[in-house]
Amino acid sequence: MVDHDLTISDLPDACLARVFHFLPPLDRKQCSLVCRWWLFVEGQSHHRLTLNARTDLASVLRSVFNRFDSVTKLSLKCDRKSVSIGDEALVNISRYCENLIRLKLRSCRELTDTGVLKFAKNCRKLRKLSVGSCCFGAMGVNGVMDNCLFLEELSVKRLQTVVDGNPTEEIRPGVAGSALRMISLKDMYNGQRFEPLISGSKKLKTLRIVRCYGDWDKVLQVVTKNVKELVELHLERLQVSDLGLAAVSGCRGLEILHLLKTPDCSNLGLTSVVEKCTLLRKLHIDGWKTRRINDEGLISVAKNCPNLQELVLINVDITRAGLDLLSTNCRKLERLALCGSETIGDAEISCIAAKCRALRKLCIKSCPVSDYGMEALAVGCPNLVKVKVKKCKGVTSDGVGWLMASRGSLTVNLDAPVVENQIANAGNDSRVLAVVAVGQDQIR
Amino acid sequence: MLKNLNSKHIQRFSYKYLPQFPISPNSPKLGFSRSQIANYRSNFPTTIMSSSKTIVLRSSDGETFEVDEAVAVESQTIKHMIEDGCADTSIPLPNVTSKILSKVIEYCKKHVETPNADEKVAEEDLKSFDADFVKVDQSTLFDLILAANYLNIKSLLDLTCQTVADMIKGKTPEEIRKTFNIKNDFTPEEEEEVRRENAWAFE
Repeated sequence: MVDHDLTISDLPDACLARVFHFLPPLDRKQCSLVCRWWLFVEGQSHHRLTLNARTDLASVLRSVFNRFDSVTKLSLKCDRKSVSIGDEALVNISRYCENLIRLKLRSCRELTDTGVLKFAKNCRKLRKLSVGSCCFGAMGVNGVMDNCLFLEELSVKRLQTVVDGNPTEEIRPGVAGSALRMISLKDMYNGQRFEPLISGSKKLKTLRIVRCYGDWDKVLQVVTKNVKELVELHLERLQVSDLGLAAVSGCRGLEILHLLKTPDCSNLGLTSVVEKCTLLRKLHIDGWKTRRINDEGLISVAKNCPNLQELVLINVDITRAGLDLLSTNCRKLERLALCGSETIGDAEISCIAAKCRALRKLCIKSCPVSDYGMEALAVGCPNLVKVKVKKCKGVTSDGVGWLMASRGSLTVNLDAPVVENQIANAGNDSRVLAVVAVGQDQIR
Repeated sequence: MLKNLNSKHIQRFSYKYLPQFPISPNSPKLGFSRSQIANYRSNFPTTIMSSSKTIVLRSSDGETFEVDEAVAVESQTIKHMIEDGCADTSIPLPNVTSKILSKVIEYCKKHVETPNADEKVAEEDLKSFDADFVKVDQSTLFDLILAANYLNIKSLLDLTCQTVADMIKGKTPEEIRKTFNIKNDFTPEEEEEVRRENAWAFE
């Protein structure tokens, strides 16, 4: 069939595109400079594009989208010091990319409601929208909700004019309400105005509310009456109390719950959730400054949630009583993390080792555990695969080394603690500072 | 550019009649489809007929290869031809030489034989086989890509394309051109424009 040696130029476009598919973005850029054919194929097969959304991007839009004519996932990122593209550029982009499935906007502060509305009318196939540090308001969001009927995921962070805008304009579910699966609100001042949108998304599975100002109990009470199929809920750095948690117990299908830095939540609230949401698989709690959640709450978890697979406890004072019951009742517990708790010592680690049969991964941070605790792990937890120890002053590399030697299949990571006086005494000694810096990196 | 041949392009035998009476296995082959044979077998269970467990593939240079059906259907193209009833005598593959076809068959055999790639030993063994399999000169590698594309064998196509990608990684455009003997047909202005556009894209 072929009587000459084949070269790469004998490949059909689709095969060359397939080769490019295995390359990271930087290498793809190099490929675009090889020859005209490679430029053409690379552009045609480039589906995910991130552009620097400075204002002068507007002048190169035509040639950029002539070259990248199959973009389905687009990110427009402007840096905080530059002026971003405006409405006209966004509308032009929407005309070039009618098949857009995902859009990410970062710091595009010149965009207004008008531009976003026109964009939404052109890009009706949108499935995911993520907005960060932009300045449009309710009208723009509603524009998307009214036009993008396939929208599955909405993430909004620091959307600034939702504060001032027309106070009577509520943020509605529109036609997107029936498709939305995930809503995430972060760093919002008036995030409560999204309540009608959340309540109207009947098929919502995941809700994340992080660092949003004001009281959220009332919103949770309304939302949980309407959104019954919620599976995943993250509440972080919020003003939520046991009242809100009592409302959450209405979502019986809840499987994942994160209660991080919600200082008004106590054992009572946690108990009211877990008594009804017995399908819980993953639970993360950060008791933060008030430390109101402790043994009592965790005993309720142990009594009600047999399916628990993953448990992360930060600033939660759990003792052997709670650990005992958890290990006995939660037979599927595979991943456990304990951080910042003075009550977790070697005896508690022994208890875990002896009783958590299904445990695969264990992380201990800033707890008074020592090498004796490591010894205990040598014999327990038959399924243990990985152990991470951070900032536990009593655990040394000797202890860890011994543990790894006695249990061949186990991986143990030890990050050395940064001792306070090391920094103080370092002065200008760059070698000491370098060691300290490495240690700090590892701890992160 | 070579395209995937669709089964529509393959000559079909026209079945003018369905067998109404028992046919001895020794009578000349009339080219019945597998479903017809299965139907016949269910009506005459006592008759012994050889089931087509092997497939004959014919390369562009006329060589024939007899392979187990399970191996042959690693190729979606061949699988569809069999299902459409075109695998009676042999399957002609006019786009694949015997040299490449024998390699492809070797690949498919190995992948079909490896029982469970879940087990570590089997997985390591297969990885090592794949690594050695692509240690060939460029011409053979591109020939394998074309064959995998035409025969629609996804894992082989991914393996060979990944190999080419690995030859590109970390190189400058000039180094890439040298590797594959490609001529730079950009004018300096065109090249500059591409660079300018690239500067706008982070990813």
